[in-house]
Amino acid sequence: MFPALTGPREALTHALRVRLLCVNPVAFAAAFVRSFTGAKDERPPPFDASLLRVLVCPLSKKALRYDAQTNELINDELGIAYPVVHGIPNMIPQDARLIQKEVDAQ
Amino acid sequence: MAVSMRLLVRRLIRLSHRNVAVSRAAVLSRSHCHWEPLFCRSFSDDRNTHFGFETVSEEDKAKRVYKVFENVAQKYDIMNDAMSLGIHRLWKDMLLHAMHPQPGAQLLDVAGGTGDIAFRFLDYVRTQQEQKRRREARSMQLQSWQEISNSYPTIDEGGRQESRAVVCDINKEMLKVGKEKADGKGISAGLSWVVGDAEELPFDDDQFDIYTIAFGIRNVTRIDQALQEALRVLKPGGRFMCLEFSKVTNPVLARIYDAYSFQLIPVLGEVIAGDWKSYQYLVESIRRFPDQEEFKYMIEDAGFYCVQYFNLTGGVVALHSGFKL
Repeated sequence: MFPALTGPREALTHALRVRLLCVNPVAFAAAFVRSFTGAKDERPPPFDASLLRVLVCPLSKKALRYDAQTNELINDELGIAYPVVHGIPNMIPQDARLIQKEVDAQ
Repeated sequence: MAVSMRLLVRRLIRLSHRNVAVSRAAVLSRSHCHWEPLFCRSFSDDRNTHFGFETVSEEDKAKRVYKVFENVAQKYDIMNDAMSLGIHRLWKDMLLHAMHPQPGAQLLDVAGGTGDIAFRFLDYVRTQQEQKRRREARSMQLQSWQEISNSYPTIDEGGRQESRAVVCDINKEMLKVGKEKADGKGISAGLSWVVGDAEELPFDDDQFDIYTIAFGIRNVTRIDQALQEALRVLKPGGRFMCLEFSKVTNPVLARIYDAYSFQLIPVLGEVIAGDWKSYQYLVESIRRFPDQEEFKYMIEDAGFYCVQYFNLTGGVVALHSGFKL
């Protein structure tokens, strides 16, 4: 905690270390944790599968299928896909993607 | 008889969407120099509705309401505390007490945004369950060891469904704030978040025991559609509960409330949230919302039974309740 301050260089590094730890402990701790978890800043929160029991397509009221790769809820009958953003499904029809159109475009 | 005729005529006026706020605007413009120009839509095929004291087309209203709540989302809870002097917490607590949810109840909180009702619901159910467990443990201490060992399987039985709250809101920002709050509190079990439209709910029929909408229904473009959707997703025997600002019954209190709403709240909005217009919309939309009796008729029209309302804080807020039978 208090190393022998033998010279100006040691004093400087000590002062910097103290500043980092005391002034910004949160950022220091966060950086520490992040280095352990790796480059996972984009951690998408998992989608709660139990929601699938109650969720239906707002337009046709039919059941939906969860696609883990594209992270979307798909209504195969109408060919639309509802995105899941930050683990929250977006069930607004205007924000949904038409799958059939994309297939035709291809 | 005369009273019911008057109410019937008022309903007809409301149904034809005539703009009655013009006279009110003229009265209030004396005290207020800050008014938006009235929108004129002479060529629109779609119907007009109100956005505060303005007249706008229905699709415009949805977009503008979305923008309002997108702007205020971060400071929403702070502003609620400042504007209502913390009383909004009491209103929401009273809603929960009136609701008195049983363990295993399924709640749908529409326009739930930051999740206040859902958190309170989960707290209430968990506290009740703990109290029940404590009572059972206390009663078990007087039994013989054989009776206790026989009752072990019944304690661990998880056949009964866990209570669960689904928060649905059309605005992604509000839900984001709510989810962050939940993560901060460490609540994740039994709580779900969905972006959805109250007029077109993404839920199947007969799913929920309780449907609540707290301070959200006046922002919905077509209230009757939202009420019909509420009826659809509720189980038979399910309860519809709505907290909303309403007409103050006492004339003296009404004067004070008006002055407070129009003079102080937009100023608070500007100071705390940096947004005068959104809070101007807020107080205007409260004035445009139908009063307690009219809203009760609207709920009955949608098909609910045993509709009743309770005035809170002298009519500043009304709690409407109806059952799907």
